[in-house]
Amino acid sequence: VNGGWVIPINWDVFGPAIVLCGGALLALVADLLTTKRSFLLSWVPMLAGSTAALVLDLRSAGFPVGFDGIILVGTILIVLASTVLHAENAMPPGEFQFLLGSAATGGLVIVGAADLVTLLVGLELLTLPSIALVGLRQGDRRAIGSAWTFFLASVVSTAITLMGIAMIYGLSGSLHYGELGWHGGSGARAAFSVGLVLTLIGFLFKIGAVPFHAWVPDAYRGASPVVTAFLSSVSKAAVLGALLVLVYLGFPPESSGVWLPLVAAVAVVTMTAGNVGALRQNDGVRLLAWSSIAQAGFLLAPALVGEPLPAINAAAQYVAVYALANIVGFIALAVVSKVRGSTSFDELAGLARTDPWVGVPLAFAVLVLAGFPPAVIGLVTKYVVFVPVVSGGWTWVAVVMAINVMIGLAYYLRFVATLFAPAEAAGFRSVGGSVGVRVATFVVMVGALALAAASLWPSAVLDHVVAVTIEPR
Amino acid sequence: MITAALLAFAVAAVVLAIAPRAFSGRRAAELGGIASAVALVELARIPIGKPGTLWAEVDQPWIGSPGARFHVGVDEISWPLALLTATLTLACCVWQWQRGTSPALVALLMVIAGASLGVFVAQDLLLFFIFFEFALVPMWFVIARWGENATGSKQARRAATKFLLYTVIGSSLMFVGFVLLALRGHSLQIDELRGSTSLTAAILIAVGLAVKVPLVPVHTWLPDAHSKAPTVGSVLLAGIFLKLGTYGLIRLNVQMLPQPTERIAPWLAGLGVLGIVWAGFACLAQDDLKRLVAYSSVGHMGFVVLAIATMSQTGIIAAVFGSVAHGLITGLLFFLAGSLKERYGTASLAALGRGLYGRAPWRAVAILGAGLATIGLPGLAGFWGEFLTLRAAFEPASLLPQTFSIVLMVIATAGVVLATAYVARFARSLLQGVPTRLDLDRDLWRREALVVVALLLPILVLGFFPALITGLFPPIGYAP
Repeated sequence: VNGGWVIPINWDVFGPAIVLCGGALLALVADLLTTKRSFLLSWVPMLAGSTAALVLDLRSAGFPVGFDGIILVGTILIVLASTVLHAENAMPPGEFQFLLGSAATGGLVIVGAADLVTLLVGLELLTLPSIALVGLRQGDRRAIGSAWTFFLASVVSTAITLMGIAMIYGLSGSLHYGELGWHGGSGARAAFSVGLVLTLIGFLFKIGAVPFHAWVPDAYRGASPVVTAFLSSVSKAAVLGALLVLVYLGFPPESSGVWLPLVAAVAVVTMTAGNVGALRQNDGVRLLAWSSIAQAGFLLAPALVGEPLPAINAAAQYVAVYALANIVGFIALAVVSKVRGSTSFDELAGLARTDPWVGVPLAFAVLVLAGFPPAVIGLVTKYVVFVPVVSGGWTWVAVVMAINVMIGLAYYLRFVATLFAPAEAAGFRSVGGSVGVRVATFVVMVGALALAAASLWPSAVLDHVVAVTIEPR
Repeated sequence: MITAALLAFAVAAVVLAIAPRAFSGRRAAELGGIASAVALVELARIPIGKPGTLWAEVDQPWIGSPGARFHVGVDEISWPLALLTATLTLACCVWQWQRGTSPALVALLMVIAGASLGVFVAQDLLLFFIFFEFALVPMWFVIARWGENATGSKQARRAATKFLLYTVIGSSLMFVGFVLLALRGHSLQIDELRGSTSLTAAILIAVGLAVKVPLVPVHTWLPDAHSKAPTVGSVLLAGIFLKLGTYGLIRLNVQMLPQPTERIAPWLAGLGVLGIVWAGFACLAQDDLKRLVAYSSVGHMGFVVLAIATMSQTGIIAAVFGSVAHGLITGLLFFLAGSLKERYGTASLAALGRGLYGRAPWRAVAILGAGLATIGLPGLAGFWGEFLTLRAAFEPASLLPQTFSIVLMVIATAGVVLATAYVARFARSLLQGVPTRLDLDRDLWRREALVVVALLLPILVLGFFPALITGLFPPIGYAP
């Protein structure tokens, strides 16, 4: 295609990203203008920016919401809850909000991307600020170490993706989705397959799929739980959305023979390894970190159906619920770690009794992730991801998923049992904490209430989270 | 009416969870008892309809896109089991009418009862599955928190986890089977999926339910869970939970997937009979009364599965009768064994000593009555389930070859002899002989006696009037 460098811009898609980015810049500038450390000064512009972006997004795209909606709602919740960092002197507020906003903008860009260059730029916009966020806490050596690991993993994966994209561009002569393909015989086809696999490997790195997952537990644990909440929900939803759009709408349908087995193998190995890794954890954050590796396998599974509509929608519905549950979980842990100083199981024992406003929502979010009633919505979304797997003819994958539901329950239940354990110590109450902690607790409660409401009316999620409504192509 | 019964349990559970301080000790049990009684009455007043149709059906849209509906109703198979659920729960609440009862325990019992009832009434696969899973985590807490040696017992916790993981692996496989069926049949309604032919789905569902029943190679969770659970936990596990498995086999395998189930029926029948014999021998070797009763459950469930595997009308009646009778009888036995354990701190036959007739006559008589019912003595409810099973095995309707089936029948009959032997054994060693008096000797408390009578009564009534259940079904046709 001629004039391949002219990238057409769809403002309906790009508008919210610009607004969000504006909010982030405003937060940075506002913070620069004063010499005194002020949390509100950067928090308000960022919150306003992300809210405005959501409003804009809803006005242009409307219901049902897709990945962009999930990213924006998640970002708003995390910005709101970032008040828990209010009193943390080591965390520079302006930089934090700016980096968070930039990363979220990157997320919006990649799910809306329709060509490989935009995708790559967006991916970097998402990743680089995320790395900085992980290591942002001043004087925290472990966080800086984690950021380094994350950085190295990320650079390698970007290089691999870049290589793949270069090969695909060379073979198809285009960067635009839908025009990617190969000309010529089996040699070109093989080369394209190599390029495709290389591109996907980069994505699998970012989504934290096994065997490219090693950075996840380290980064999740080193970062502040608020940042971890972002990485495990918003960032993951964005990468997943971009990946699905790329493989289904970007690559030619004939290429599915290459990536379907790859995705199947990676999904199966990821969920199993993640779950087995989580079994041994005795710390809330580390347990959720490993669980989110396992969940990445479930997130990838619907891609196996072989048709874009059911794959993308099932993944969007699953990731919407998963992301909300993870945000509730990690923010609750952020509150605990703020109030009590640790998120080890010893510290969490009996939390649902001593501090029900945080403990009960946390337990509910964990049950959502496990997919067990009373968290019916978790079970229903499990059904949603099983359906495309079975309908694509991957019954054996579904059986492995079923076994993984069992393994997952083993540690999720241990977590819930810990939270409800009879507690002797009176402990601290988050509701009595500072304003920042209270706002974060409020976010936790609202998120859990939303999950509870969705458990009674699962249609509220299933009917309103639909990323693709008409068959493209 | 069904919805009201479900709501009764739900409301009681929510109230107890929100305001535990307002309901402590006896008041929690009272609230639970009232809820169970309401549920029992609501279920009992369902007008009996024609066999094969749904009575008191409610069908409301629920989740649009997968097509799940809030679709409940009972028929001749599920109604007796629903009544059993409410009855046993009521009995459990009476049992817990003591000062130390924790409101959380009663709340969990309510959830378990409501969820089990939900399984029996659900006519939508997703709804069925949600209820099926709903009861598991509460049961884990009941066993782990209130199980043997009270709080923090490692053993109870391990038994609970074993129970949970076994059941969940089974139910997850069943879930895959449901998804397969839903995709093939474009529906989640059990009646609309009738006649589906997927063998894979039938196997996955049967495996999942076999863990629950339990059938022999996957039964190992049962003795631990039942013996470590608190009394009411054991009662609900044995009385209701195992029925979820047999009910599922009838409803989902025999009725919904008859063709593929015919092909796995010989396996079910063989494993069922293996269970009868295995359990018989295992019971002979048990010293702990709770463990003994737990193993005897495996045997009784073997009978029920044999009946189901014949896939005949007689077999279904036998299975339903056997399930209800087992629920009442084993429930009673667990109450009595639990009472011993609560009283003496152990259920070991050796430690309990001999001559209970002389030490606590009513307790001894109750144990003997329940033991006789376990054997299947004519005139008690247990008889009809086993008799009809043997009758059904003589004339299987499924692909079960008749010679194979008759061999199974003969082996199963030997199982009855084994049952007689183990009951005679514990009756001799515990009830008879020169009384070895212990300081703790005391006859049944009044609330215990009430529960015993309340369960013995239906056992007797069903023994003398089996038509109360068989009459719900169309008359058994005799093959020429």
